Amino acid sequence: MQQLSGKDISELIESSYRCRKNILKMMRQGEGHIGGAFSSLDILTVIYNKILRHDPKNPKWADRDRFILSAGHKCLALYAVLADQGYFKEEILYTYNTFDTPVAMHPEEKRLPGIEFSTGSLGHGLPVANAIALAARLDKKDYRVFVILGDGESAEGSVWEAAMAAAHHKTDNLTVIIDRNGLQVNGRTSEIMDSSPLEEKFKAFGWAVQTVDGHDFNRIYQALASVPFTRGKPSCIVADTIKCKGLPFGEDNFQFHHWHCEASEIDNAINLVEGQMGKELDKVAK
Amino acid sequence: MQNNIDNKKAGAAAINLQQAVIEDPRKRFSDALVELGAKNSNVIYVSCDSSLGASGAEFNKRYPERHFEFGIAEQNAMGEAAGFATCGKIPFIAAYVPFVTLRCFEQIRDDLCKPKLSVKIMGNNCGFSVSALGPTHTVLEDVSVMRSLPNMTILSPCDGPEYYQAAFAAAEIDGPVYIRIHRTKTKKIHGDDFRLKVGRGEILREGTDITLIACSTMVANALEASSILENKGISAEVINMSTIKPVDRELILASSSKTKKVATVEEHSIVNGLGTAVADVLIKENPVKMKMIGINDLFATVGDYGEMIEYYGLSPAGIAASIEEFLR
Repeated sequence: MQQLSGKDISELIESSYRCRKNILKMMRQGEGHIGGAFSSLDILTVIYNKILRHDPKNPKWADRDRFILSAGHKCLALYAVLADQGYFKEEILYTYNTFDTPVAMHPEEKRLPGIEFSTGSLGHGLPVANAIALAARLDKKDYRVFVILGDGESAEGSVWEAAMAAAHHKTDNLTVIIDRNGLQVNGRTSEIMDSSPLEEKFKAFGWAVQTVDGHDFNRIYQALASVPFTRGKPSCIVADTIKCKGLPFGEDNFQFHHWHCEASEIDNAINLVEGQMGKELDKVAK
Repeated sequence: MQNNIDNKKAGAAAINLQQAVIEDPRKRFSDALVELGAKNSNVIYVSCDSSLGASGAEFNKRYPERHFEFGIAEQNAMGEAAGFATCGKIPFIAAYVPFVTLRCFEQIRDDLCKPKLSVKIMGNNCGFSVSALGPTHTVLEDVSVMRSLPNMTILSPCDGPEYYQAAFAAAEIDGPVYIRIHRTKTKKIHGDDFRLKVGRGEILREGTDITLIACSTMVANALEASSILENKGISAEVINMSTIKPVDRELILASSSKTKKVATVEEHSIVNGLGTAVADVLIKENPVKMKMIGINDLFATVGDYGEMIEYYGLSPAGIAASIEEFLR
């Protein structure tokens, strides 16, 4: 199985924490869905740096792999990664939460290069993604489609309609990554609406499934690099993550799903995030 | 065959309608889809277990690789249609009106209308098409909700040639289109050389006392009502307004300026339907006296098609009686 080198992992850690710091700077405007952005950031970092066949200078390249953020509220992470990849200038990030900004609180395809499809209302991404994957078959193209769903989002019926359809149509160029951080707006997913066992549910719907630690870059990479897990089946990666990962006082706290912050809290938060990055880099060095 | 309607001769319409050819709208739409499929390889069919009764069977037979079945799951199917459209496909998605409009309304709003994607929604069995099935299947609010969406075009054809043309016209439009498809066989009003102009109504019969604006099945009934009215000395102008959105503002203003009175006729709720579309123009630009004939904000009872039309005052005689009362 393919492995990432220590150097690769260090670079990915630096990339994901660079994005976390940029997200905090964006939040100087007062609020944002930081929890899901930070929980999904390591996954997005691997996807854009190591997996996706894409060209930031040519975002509509016909043969590109597609990425759709079905859980659109996590878009702080997507914006930061896209800027880091060079899709647009970093300064655009800092217009977040201002009038008519291209980086709105939910991503819009027409506002920003690199956004494949506008999302925000949960449960919309997977149906769209499955059709884009089916269109590849129709057009005899070999691009792949990757989708991030939330575990809270998995309560939406349309997710399961689409899951059934993807298996029925044997869409094996489609991969779903579930950012299972265990929290949603009002509390623990297990208490609000228990979506478990997600692995068994997707298997029962006809998908090939793997579970990974969603903050272990090597495991995320290995899973994503080996799709489709089974020919003729769509792939599902259930990634166990920590909501607000990287900001110690927000981690695994549902109140950081959408953080209303004071500008004065941001500098401290950036320092704490930098400290976390240092710890993670040290772990790799050892 | 030329147009059955002679605009210049009052009374001609009713005579010709009595002799008119009867056609199945779904068959004509199916013919058009098959032709479209031959002309444009991007045209695809998205089915919600709805091909056989919804103009998709022949398309499926001819182009099975472009026929996508998603079963009884309209939210997913609408999202799938949007996804295909992002890849340059022109999906025609079909299901009974309630399921293809209301069940997946948010997908239509967010995934079709907001990004202005070229998905064509075929609302099958509109109005009282299947009224015996009861109010779950008889949705009289489809125009109401579709009209509220930016970027949406709404077509409600009245006869075979117009259904046939609507499929081609919809495919040409850069954006989402909702096409209302009735089950009842229609009297052929237009000739085969008819060309539908989206956004343009047409005067089928000229008159001077009142303008009757109708769509779908009610065009034929309004024409027949105009003959009844003529016998009572009332000259009614009859307009087929097959594009409900965007509605033909110029024609509404021109005709209402002449007749000074307007009545709309629709096999649909009077809440935000064709009548409201016409009223939106009149109230702002030519506030003449107006009547809306349709279903008065209620869930309809059950019955066969003829019974329903009779009961809700939408037969030619019922329409004529309403107009007479309105003009009294």
